[in-house]
Amino acid sequence: MRLAVYVGYLTLFSLFAWFVTNLGRRRQVVAAVIAALLLIHLAAPPPAAAQGGLIAAVQAVLKVINGAIEIALNGINNVRAAVRNLYRSVAWPVELIAQARAEALQMIGQYRNLMASILNVNLKSATLPAPRALESLIRDHRINNFTSLGQAFANTYRAIPAPADASPEDRAMADMDDALVLDNLKTLKAADGATDLELQAADSVENAASQAAPGSAPFLTAAATASSVRSQALTQKMLAAELRQEAARMAHRNELRKRGATFTLQLRGVLINLLQHN
Amino acid sequence: MRKRILPILKRSVAWTRNHKLRMVGLVLILVATMPDAGKGQFLDPCCAMLAAGLTTISNRLNNVVGGGLNTILSVDKSISDFEQQVVWPQGLISQARALVGSLEGTFHQIQALTQIKVNSATLPGSQQLEQNLLSRNPSQIVQTTAAYNALYGTVPSATDASSELRDLVDMTDAAAQTAMKRAIEIDSLADLELEAAGQITQSVQNAAPGSAPILEAQADAWLIRANAYTQAATADLMRLDAVDLADSSAELKMGASSTANLRQGLINLLEHN
Repeated sequence: MRLAVYVGYLTLFSLFAWFVTNLGRRRQVVAAVIAALLLIHLAAPPPAAAQGGLIAAVQAVLKVINGAIEIALNGINNVRAAVRNLYRSVAWPVELIAQARAEALQMIGQYRNLMASILNVNLKSATLPAPRALESLIRDHRINNFTSLGQAFANTYRAIPAPADASPEDRAMADMDDALVLDNLKTLKAADGATDLELQAADSVENAASQAAPGSAPFLTAAATASSVRSQALTQKMLAAELRQEAARMAHRNELRKRGATFTLQLRGVLINLLQHN
Repeated sequence: MRKRILPILKRSVAWTRNHKLRMVGLVLILVATMPDAGKGQFLDPCCAMLAAGLTTISNRLNNVVGGGLNTILSVDKSISDFEQQVVWPQGLISQARALVGSLEGTFHQIQALTQIKVNSATLPGSQQLEQNLLSRNPSQIVQTTAAYNALYGTVPSATDASSELRDLVDMTDAAAQTAMKRAIEIDSLADLELEAAGQITQSVQNAAPGSAPILEAQADAWLIRANAYTQAATADLMRLDAVDLADSSAELKMGASSTANLRQGLINLLEHN
């Protein structure tokens, strides 16, 4: 590139020199030279910057580094250090996290076995064979022996009377009463099983809590809250069973009242007939 | 060769002497237009100063910028380590997710327990009512009254019972039927709650530490709802008990009234005799 510039320059200068040497008059020569100098002056690039400008530029860069950049970096560093301190001493202090875990472990030790032993105290109180069998069945937390439950129930409370031994209304009501009682006893056996599972789940969540980190605890709390929803659903099912049973009891008594009204009416008729005959 | 060059040189010198002005002009133009020579690194003082300046800048960059950035990096690294080891340790997060998975298995067992058939009636009338009551289907509520009346009978006609007794019977029947219908509703709502709780638990398994609290909030909302349904069921149970108590009280009142009537009847009978 630089060679091309020199070659081009030499070519042009040679042409110019030939032109000047072949001019006829002195004034033409002077004019040509002045014209060339003017053209050169006009076309010449601006002079390079002086050494003083370079020093100033270096100092300016150093000033920026020592000033704005250093201040900004120090500021960022201070902020990040403050964030770190906030995390360590306010948001997630390691000592308090360890303390919470230890507390969970301590509460497990203090309460779990005690409460389990309270819940597992033997409550059975029946003394005769049939009631004892029934009592055992209604408290065994099992759902695969409903047939035995029905038999034990019939052994204790007797079966529905034969059609010859009771009115259809009495038989129907007794059947309904027994049915709702058995429904509830079966529901309670299932509910007892569900309660056992809920207690297992609570133990699992508590165990996990004793080892959890702040970032893993939300999983446990969300799962525990969902478990509470399930627990409420089970409670509602038990309340629904209780509602059915209470309603049936009232309906039974009301049916007896309806029949009482009918009997009273019939008795009044009989008495009137009797008095009229006398 | 020498014989040729010497005459040329002599002629050139002679021409130059004769054209001094033109030569001066050419020399001026040559000097003015000659390209600049390149500057050497070692001889030019400007380059030395530039090098010294750049060295200073480099040193400053290393000390001020590099040092500052290294300090920030070390603080950031300690924050990152703290977050990874204390706040959000991947191992414990995976462990919590696994626990939620195992809890989901437990809850499937609980849900299965709530679906167990408990029907026990043996006679047609009671079977029909029991089936209706255990249906867990709110659309079956319209059939409850018919099944109830088939088993427990209807309110006696005006000719068969006193108005007091008919009121009492009707109110007691109404309370019993309402409670049975509410039991169907509550069963159905409880099934839906169990379904929703299952969905939430499944979502928790796939959640991140940052999204789990959102699911927790959703579960909290469901818990509030579930508490409300429990309260509704409890309220119905209390209503049923209240009606039951009122029923007992009414029986007492009616007994007193009947006794008074009987006494008056006996007095009348004795007076006639």
